[in-house]
Amino acid sequence: MKARSWSLGGTRSLPTTVLVARREIRMRLRSRVFVGGTIVMTVLVVVGIVAASLLAGKTNPVQVGFSGGSQALERTFTASAAGLGAKVTVTDIADATAGEAQVAAGTLDVLVTGSATAPTAVAKAAIASNVESALSLAAEAARLSDAGLSPAAVTSAMALVPVRLLQPPKDNENLFASLALGIVLWIALGQYGNMVAQGVVEEKATRIMEILLATIQPSRLLAGKVIGIGLVGLLQLTIVGAAALLAVRVTNVAAIPALGVASILGDIFWFLIGFLFYATAYSAVGSLVSRQEEVQSAVAPIGILQIAAYLLVYAALPNPSGPLATVCSLLPPFAPILMAVRMAASPVPFWQVGLAVALVVASTIGLTWLAGRIYANTAMRLGARVRFMEAFRG
Amino acid sequence: MTGEVVSRDRTLEIDGISKHYGDVVAVRDLSLRVSAGEFFGFVGRNGAGKTTTMRIVLGVLAADAGEVRFAGAPLTFASRRQIGYMPEERGLYPKMRVAEQLSYLGALHGMTDADARASALGWLERFGLQDRSDAELQSLSHGNQQRVQLAAALVFSPTILVLDEPFASLDPLAVDVMTAVLREQADAGVPVIFSSHELELVEQLCDRVGIIDKGSMIASGTVDELRKGGRERRWIDVPLAPDAWTPGVPGVRLLRTDGSRRLFELDRGIDDQALLQAALATGPVREFERVDPSLGELFRTVIGGAAA
Repeated sequence: MKARSWSLGGTRSLPTTVLVARREIRMRLRSRVFVGGTIVMTVLVVVGIVAASLLAGKTNPVQVGFSGGSQALERTFTASAAGLGAKVTVTDIADATAGEAQVAAGTLDVLVTGSATAPTAVAKAAIASNVESALSLAAEAARLSDAGLSPAAVTSAMALVPVRLLQPPKDNENLFASLALGIVLWIALGQYGNMVAQGVVEEKATRIMEILLATIQPSRLLAGKVIGIGLVGLLQLTIVGAAALLAVRVTNVAAIPALGVASILGDIFWFLIGFLFYATAYSAVGSLVSRQEEVQSAVAPIGILQIAAYLLVYAALPNPSGPLATVCSLLPPFAPILMAVRMAASPVPFWQVGLAVALVVASTIGLTWLAGRIYANTAMRLGARVRFMEAFRG
Repeated sequence: MTGEVVSRDRTLEIDGISKHYGDVVAVRDLSLRVSAGEFFGFVGRNGAGKTTTMRIVLGVLAADAGEVRFAGAPLTFASRRQIGYMPEERGLYPKMRVAEQLSYLGALHGMTDADARASALGWLERFGLQDRSDAELQSLSHGNQQRVQLAAALVFSPTILVLDEPFASLDPLAVDVMTAVLREQADAGVPVIFSSHELELVEQLCDRVGIIDKGSMIASGTVDELRKGGRERRWIDVPLAPDAWTPGVPGVRLLRTDGSRRLFELDRGIDDQALLQAALATGPVREFERVDPSLGELFRTVIGGAAA
């Protein structure tokens, strides 16, 4: 068999599904709603990240002033604070009373007075616990050396207990970033699914459907619509996502490597699988109605299913390999988000992933057939919403 | 290729189709044939079953019984794709550009993008819409949208044309363009079947006419054949006959009186000479004229007869 030419405007006619998808993409990329929506989403995300970075910038290092004999603690305090992950700056304060006034005024966070072995700290309302610990460690070191220990002995006496982990450390940041991305994609999936349902009803409302039905099998028409809107959605998410990554990198608000390439690809893979399943379901229920006003109530059951899947994530997360998580992550309506979360949280046996993908794909094919049947059976009945069983039997 | 082969090859046959919705019978055992190059007019009241019949031909609806054949073979999805269709309820994408829309429909019917585009532009020029090819459909006037709708049925060079009420709400100019285009298509060997309420137009245009009522084809043939099949009429001027005069001939009915002139309808097989004799018995006969009913009258008679 010769390879099929996919070049547009070529000398071969294109498969009808491709034609429908291409029209969907062209029309939506040109529409003001899409262009405007993408710009607004991008601006909102970038503004949000920049605002977050400005707010984060307010967490300045804790300013600690030392007066009198406690000034001898400055060096060990700075080192301990670094070890405990506290950002501090250290200043000498000549007059303890003036220093306290500074604390009261808020220009100084902590004032340390007294001797190196018995210091006292003054703070306005609270003191960060790691700053307090660093201070205590510094005083302890001072007391030890005061008791006659050599600097080397002090260092070894103060050494932290080494900890050996039996399991490799789980990157929680990675898990939460992946979870957050998964949920954003899940919400986006509902939006694009709604677009599919509305597109189906639009063709009924404008009556073009009667001409289309005489030309193309309903299941191909619906599949083309799902694919076209899916690609447009992916493009929109890519634009917004790229803008977000760029903003994060420029403002340096968070560490990008928190989310590995593998987990991003995993989330996108499950998004696509989930989109195909849900968008096809949306196209099926969209086929049941013939007016735009009825779309919202028709798609409501699918929305509920999506929310249920979302809630299951929280139920399953504490025990990602437990029976609830395992069973639900194999069911097609829940697999796209639950399996993605399980894979991010803990290793999942390969056969379970394979089975979940196979079930979603098989049920999507079944749904496409069902949606086409409903579409063909209800196309010529305008007006009242058609009952599901009637639509199925024809 | 001889003309005879062409006509046998490209005949659309509707054979005994039926369709019901619940208890309502929409079409009952309906059959008709439209040969290549024939212009077939389908007339009937609202709800008579014209649209249902056309939708069954297009495969938009499935028939409960019967078969539709083209060139001797049952219509398949592939052969249905070659039918140009203008549905009764018009519909195109309102926000899509006119030429792009026609190209899309052409491509859906199996044309390459380039061919579809060229054909779309050709038809737009034919309908005088070349300046609007990049306009959104919804910005066009109603009449121009109708022209685009016809172009949508023609853009892929269909082998059959099925048009449901193509002349409804068209301005006279558009009617002229449309009739010319459809005539051309028929002359090129395409069977054209269309429904209409405009009986005069049907009478002028059609090679053959089918009258459908309550889902059944109750008469079909050329307009002349239908007239012959219908009841003959005679105008008689009998100035001396009393007002209440009846000829007393069985199978003859008085339809209308116009002064001393009277219009009679004769059942089939009735000898008009018996009517003349009866008229002469009243005194002088100034006029004895045979008239052919118009399609409209025929339609009313046939439908009225079916209703009785």
